[in-house]
Amino acid sequence: MKQLVLRLVEAVAIVVLLATAVFLALRIVPGDAALLVLGDHASPEALAELRAKLHLNEPMVMQYGRFLHGMAFGDFGESLRKPGVTASARVFDALGPTASLAFTSVFLGALLGTLSAVLGAGPWLGRARGWIERALVAVASFPLLALAPLLTWVLAIRLRTCALPGDPDAGAPGTLFAASLLAIPLAAHVGRIGLASLSHLGRAQFLLTARAKGASTPRTWILHALPNALGPIVTVVATQLGALLGGALVLERLFERPGLGSLILEAYASRDIPVLQAAIVASGGLFVIAQMGATAVHAWVDPRARSAA
Amino acid sequence: MNRRFWNLVPMASLATGSALFALLGSTPPTELVPERAFCVPSRAHWLGCGDAGVDVLAVASHAELRGLALAGIVALIGWTIGTPLGALCAYRGGWPDRVLSRTCDLLQAFPTFLLAITTLAAVQRPSRVHVGIVFAFLAWIPFARLALTEARVLRTMLYVDAARALGASTPAIILRHFIPALSRTTAVQLGSSAAALVVSEAALAFVGFGPRDGVSLGSLIEQGVFSMLRAPHVLVLSATLLFVTNASLLIAGRALGAGRSEGFPGTF
Repeated sequence: MKQLVLRLVEAVAIVVLLATAVFLALRIVPGDAALLVLGDHASPEALAELRAKLHLNEPMVMQYGRFLHGMAFGDFGESLRKPGVTASARVFDALGPTASLAFTSVFLGALLGTLSAVLGAGPWLGRARGWIERALVAVASFPLLALAPLLTWVLAIRLRTCALPGDPDAGAPGTLFAASLLAIPLAAHVGRIGLASLSHLGRAQFLLTARAKGASTPRTWILHALPNALGPIVTVVATQLGALLGGALVLERLFERPGLGSLILEAYASRDIPVLQAAIVASGGLFVIAQMGATAVHAWVDPRARSAA
Repeated sequence: MNRRFWNLVPMASLATGSALFALLGSTPPTELVPERAFCVPSRAHWLGCGDAGVDVLAVASHAELRGLALAGIVALIGWTIGTPLGALCAYRGGWPDRVLSRTCDLLQAFPTFLLAITTLAAVQRPSRVHVGIVFAFLAWIPFARLALTEARVLRTMLYVDAARALGASTPAIILRHFIPALSRTTAVQLGSSAAALVVSEAALAFVGFGPRDGVSLGSLIEQGVFSMLRAPHVLVLSATLLFVTNASLLIAGRALGAGRSEGFPGTF
């Protein structure tokens, strides 16, 4: 129970820290936020009006209080570029595509990574097992930013097997393709860690006992060894979530997909401060929720983690 | 020794190669000649041209050089702050050790890329210096973490006790006995941090937070993506260059030191 409260406090702390960073970044840094929004040729009246609308003419402490109060109720004000639409509504619309991309790729990455770890540690492949480890190391050191465009070029243009970047009709196969690209580095990391912990477990006595009692090889590895290796695997997934968020941004830009990343970039380019704040806080929230989910999964599969977490 | 030498070769040849092309090339990387946009490789432009007629070789060599410089400087700043900090907290033990350890945990879980974008949003024209400053804020974490774990073991060594018994001050013990002992492990981290920084800088430029003149590997990849039908060589070249840079920095770090590394928070 105490652990749970601590986790919650930490999660809220991350979101508040990120929110404070975006708040301060848009206000403390030399330069006038209203001037950033309206440009250098704005009239003094328009500037004053915008300052009043964004409460920029109030003391910093009051602005911060107003900001935190609004954040608690999900109210970030009205979008500057789309009058009449609240910032939260725009973020809410963008949340769906990003969340489906991120969760599909976590699922695919964990699945593929675990599969390659079991294949690399188990006896099925014989001497070829060593190649799995080498391949995992090679893929893990291939940056997504280089890998994703290259693979897209090969698959979409050379082999014509998938949709081109920016194709609006891509639909579900497009999401699946983007999610698989995002899943590749994750799978490599999961595979490396899973392989290391499975190889370490391979000599454990309880596996020998299971074999002696007549369990088949797949049963020994999947039912007896794998649950013990899930702890490190879940930890890797949790530590890779921040990278996944950055990767999702890159992929949304690559495929011109709608989503939180595209919204952040658009709000940045048009200096839509309320939307930018809301979108960054929402991505921080998404990240924290996913991380807590990973911890919960770990505690669920491994009773030892419940007290030690 | 021999193996170490060979592991440094890719990095060194990459750096000298790009420096050579950047210095000797006659075309500046920002020169725009719309008539020759996406032209094929020729005698005048060895790797062809990109968007608005920039010379791909000139952009790639300058971008590579500047990216390496940024990554090297920021990684060194991270080393200079993180290693002594981690060593000091481990040497003191007790609450400094716990506080640093928890802070590292919290910051390591932080979505770095988001933080970078947040901070860069405040600047009207983000430049490479701004990107460097943002990364420097977080670059010390893996070093501090590594130094903390290693120095917890060093603290119990007899030679540290001996130095203290001889009257050495805390700064002297950290500088003369901890840092040299930590240098091999942290050198590996220097390599992987620099590799991650090159990639992160390119990623920021790719999504539009890069230097305005477009001299960055990320901007070159972006050009390649949007012209992959017309001029695939831009994409293939820039993506391969990024991969080679990342790999050679990792290999160079391993050659300089020995042991494990933590990775930069939020790298992809």
